[in-house]
Amino acid sequence: MTIQQGSEVHVPLSAPESEAVEERAAVPAPPRRTLRTGFPWPVTVLLRLVAPAAIIGIWYLISQRERSGLFVKDPLTSFERFVEDFLSGDASRLFLGDATFDHLFPSVGRALAGLGIAIVVGVVIGVLLGISPVMTALFQPLVHLGRSLPSPALLGVFFFLFGTGDSPKIFLIAFSVVWPILLNTIDGVSSIGQTRAQAAQVFRIPGRDVLTHIVLPGAAPKIFAGIRTSLSFSLILMIISELQKSENGLGYLLIQSQRTFDYAGFWAVLIVLVILGVAFNTIFLAIERRALAWHRGATQQND
Amino acid sequence: MTETSVPPTGTSAELLLDAVSRSYGENLAVRSISAEVPASKISVIVGPSGCGKSTLLRIISGLDEPTSGRVEFEGVPVKGVPEGLAMVFQDYSRSLFPWMRVDKNVAFPIKHLPAKERAERVRFAMQEVGLSGKEKLYPWQMSGGMQQRVAIARALASHPKLLLMDEPYASVDAQTRADLEDLLMRIQAELGITVLVVTHDIDESVYLADRIIVLSAPPSVVTEVIEVDLPRPRDHIATKTDPRFVEIRGHVTRLLRSKEHAAPV
Ligand SMILES: Nc1ncnc2c1ncn2[C@@H]1O[C@H](COP(=O)(O)OP(=O)(O)O)[C@@H](O)[C@H]1O
Ligand SMILES: [Mg+2]
Repeated sequence: MTIQQGSEVHVPLSAPESEAVEERAAVPAPPRRTLRTGFPWPVTVLLRLVAPAAIIGIWYLISQRERSGLFVKDPLTSFERFVEDFLSGDASRLFLGDATFDHLFPSVGRALAGLGIAIVVGVVIGVLLGISPVMTALFQPLVHLGRSLPSPALLGVFFFLFGTGDSPKIFLIAFSVVWPILLNTIDGVSSIGQTRAQAAQVFRIPGRDVLTHIVLPGAAPKIFAGIRTSLSFSLILMIISELQKSENGLGYLLIQSQRTFDYAGFWAVLIVLVILGVAFNTIFLAIERRALAWHRGATQQND
Repeated sequence: MTETSVPPTGTSAELLLDAVSRSYGENLAVRSISAEVPASKISVIVGPSGCGKSTLLRIISGLDEPTSGRVEFEGVPVKGVPEGLAMVFQDYSRSLFPWMRVDKNVAFPIKHLPAKERAERVRFAMQEVGLSGKEKLYPWQMSGGMQQRVAIARALASHPKLLLMDEPYASVDAQTRADLEDLLMRIQAELGITVLVVTHDIDESVYLADRIIVLSAPPSVVTEVIEVDLPRPRDHIATKTDPRFVEIRGHVTRLLRSKEHAAPV
């Protein structure tokens, strides 16, 4: 519904066809690093390093205590172990260690496969549900049921359904992380608005173009927000899915190193996980920044 | 009363409304509207807020169906969105696509045309609304007035025979509004398209119109159809100080006053 304004009789000023171009600051925003904190970027970088440095400091202190030092290896030892296991190959192996090929890559592969399936399924079903209020009403309870299932508890079911290879793990990840994407897509599609839908109808835009040029781009900000949530979920689920019946992967490595009292190895895997989380997030933000440049500008203007 | 308000069937009627009504459940929004919109002229529907003006435009554009009655565009009953029709919505920020640059917004409805013709139409439409050189901006980088010009350019690019405008200038400031009114009249005269504007602004209706269709408060009927014989081209000072303008404006004001307070029969 459009908003009606109270009827007022306006008295227009004399207007000699003034092509008064009232252009808003169309200048692209200055580089964000200086903009956001107000500091030059070296200061910003230093500020961002404070928290990690503090964590490493605390980690070190704990590792020096007699009781906890048994399990908590100090940061340097852990880091050396990380380099040894994951980064010590020759040039033919791109300087990557055995553990990278045997455990890191399989894990990341399964996480990405699960996430990929979740994105495709979540967006397709989300669009179908989002464009039809009837479908939304019909399937909303099912979606909320699926979302609230504690998916790690279903791992057994997935093993039963898909055997023991990669598939149960991939499907567990996909099933667990699809919900934020699905719900956000539904939300995003309905956020496009009635007026835009009517504009598309009046201009007789064919259905295919409505989908690719209106529905998907219009819902994209919400979809990306959903994917961001799912991204961190997928790493958690990746580890959980590898804790049982697994022959490789970072989760397997965690369990294995604990069983063999190889605590340096255990902490090395944790370092890998931190790096992985940061890397996933950075790549995601770069993609989002490119895909949603318009959205950042539009929301900044409306602030 | 509705019968008498329709002038004798003209030959050049582009759009015909015959006893159109629309109710939402129990709520009768539009009781019975009969009117003719002449070809190549500017007609203005004026009426109080909530009297069903937007509803009527949705019915004319085939987005909605009347509960009873009939709409004909070029002698053909409207079923679905007819070809040759374009619309400018009140809420420009919600009708443009913020993820497309301005030129893409304008070209989007004519995507099916060959690239060369499309580019030519976009260039022409942008020039008509005085926005040449702004093609690569995003809508949200523009002021409200400029965005509404983009919406007009988008409508023009599709080469409409009938241009519908739903309170197109209700959300821009007075100066911009005056500019856009003149812009609309200039373009209409140049291209000879049929324009149907909906507004609740009495000044605007008299200033723009060749014919004013006055609606009552809901459930709405046509109160009167007024032929505005003010000379063209019109001008914000000369036209609005013309005694004839003042007279017509007074007349429309009285019509809306009396109807707004009259209890619906
Ligand atoms: N989709 C709808 N559902 C229910 N009532 C509606 C709907 N659209 C319009 N109406 C009702 O119809 C009447 C006319 O609305 P509208 O056409 O928007 O008026 P106007 O544009 O003249 O202000 C209002 O009373 C409004 O509440
Ligand atoms: Mg309206």
